[in-house]
Amino acid sequence: MKELRLHSGEVFERVFVNEPPLDLRIVQEADSRVKIHVVNFSEDSEYSEILNKITVEQQGEGCVTEIYGLGYLRGEDHVETETHVRHIVGGGESKQLFKYVLADRSQGAFYGELLIAKDAQKTRTEQVNRNLLLSREAQMRTRPQLEIYADDVQASHGATTGQLDESALFYMQQRGINRDEAYRMLVAAFLKDVLETVADEETRTRLMDAIDRVVE
Amino acid sequence: MRELLKIKDLHASIAGKEILKGVNLVINSGEVHAIMGPNGAGKSTLSAVLTGHPAYEVTQGEVWLRGKNLLELPPEQRAREGIFLSFQYPVEIPGVSMTNFMRTAVNGKRQYEGKEPLGAREFLKLMKEKRALLEMGDKLQNRSVNEGFSGGEKKKNEIFQMAMLEPCLSILDETDSGLDIDALRIVAEGVNRLKTAENATIVITHYQRLLDYIVPDFVHVLADGRIVKTGDKSLALELEEHGYEGVKS
Repeated sequence: MKELRLHSGEVFERVFVNEPPLDLRIVQEADSRVKIHVVNFSEDSEYSEILNKITVEQQGEGCVTEIYGLGYLRGEDHVETETHVRHIVGGGESKQLFKYVLADRSQGAFYGELLIAKDAQKTRTEQVNRNLLLSREAQMRTRPQLEIYADDVQASHGATTGQLDESALFYMQQRGINRDEAYRMLVAAFLKDVLETVADEETRTRLMDAIDRVVE
Repeated sequence: MRELLKIKDLHASIAGKEILKGVNLVINSGEVHAIMGPNGAGKSTLSAVLTGHPAYEVTQGEVWLRGKNLLELPPEQRAREGIFLSFQYPVEIPGVSMTNFMRTAVNGKRQYEGKEPLGAREFLKLMKEKRALLEMGDKLQNRSVNEGFSGGEKKKNEIFQMAMLEPCLSILDETDSGLDIDALRIVAEGVNRLKTAENATIVITHYQRLLDYIVPDFVHVLADGRIVKTGDKSLALELEEHGYEGVKS
């Protein structure tokens, strides 16, 4: 496990692309910021079984935590991501957005544990997990787990798993767009909002190209 | 004038239920055909079958477009051969911008025809020109396809796409539904201005109203999966007055 302590006002930003399983624990002091992207793209990765674990604890006031995940899994890929976000003191903010596209017989899981302690008033949190299954054999497990002990907080969460919109595919084909191309465009569209959170333009472009390459 | 589309004894079903029960129709270039009929007669099924919707199964019959066997082609190839459907319910595609969508469609068709793809500047110029035809502002272009568009905007957007793709055969499926009178006029004028001696239009509608604006050369009554009567535009007025029961031949 890798441990990291962010001192007051410090910023930690990282985009992890197809890295070995993560086991990361970050402690945030007041007014520090964390922004992490965890990207798992099949094909480009040498790991087919991955368990990522990220724990972030806000111990000081006014912290911001952003954790994003996106993945395109296929074949026999198996990627699980576990997040533990803990708001110990108030006035903090956390945002999590995880999006996975699963093809073939791939399997994914997202477990998001979120704790807002009794004294963490005025905390604002958002946790969203959306998944797209491209085959009948693909599987996604998702389990948001919220423990909220403070009463004056804003906490929203949502999890959905669906399939590619066949009516959109047909609409695009009717305009003369190849089914394969339409497929690629719809998958890219699905992942778009997560990609847009990557601040560095070069990294963002590289990821978009990777999506084009792996989606077939 | 030459033969564009020929439908011979077309039977089609969905989930095992037969909807089209032997449709025959020939459409020549330069013509406008209206297909009218009661709910459930098979009007939308006909447009779905012609465009290759995967939910429908053709069990019998033939469809030829400019001498090509249409039923053998996947939907995108039918589109590139020049069939265009203005959807009754245009689909919203979040995350795909109108510009990207349209550029992929237009350049896909050009590639199919052995033409060079349009460059960014030419493409935007073409978009602007065609938008003017439908009195559309430019703000819709940066939005996702049909996402959050009003009913009228969606229908205008269909005809805009038709203008961009220049099909040889356009099928307007209930294009008038959900349109107020001003939007109806704009949409109909757009359609009329796209009419040439080389292309043809099928107008599927419940009501005579749209046919005041887009005047058909032929009116067909589709009932229970067959064309039961064909006439000129006066047939539409007759239908309006006496209902479908009154005209079953």
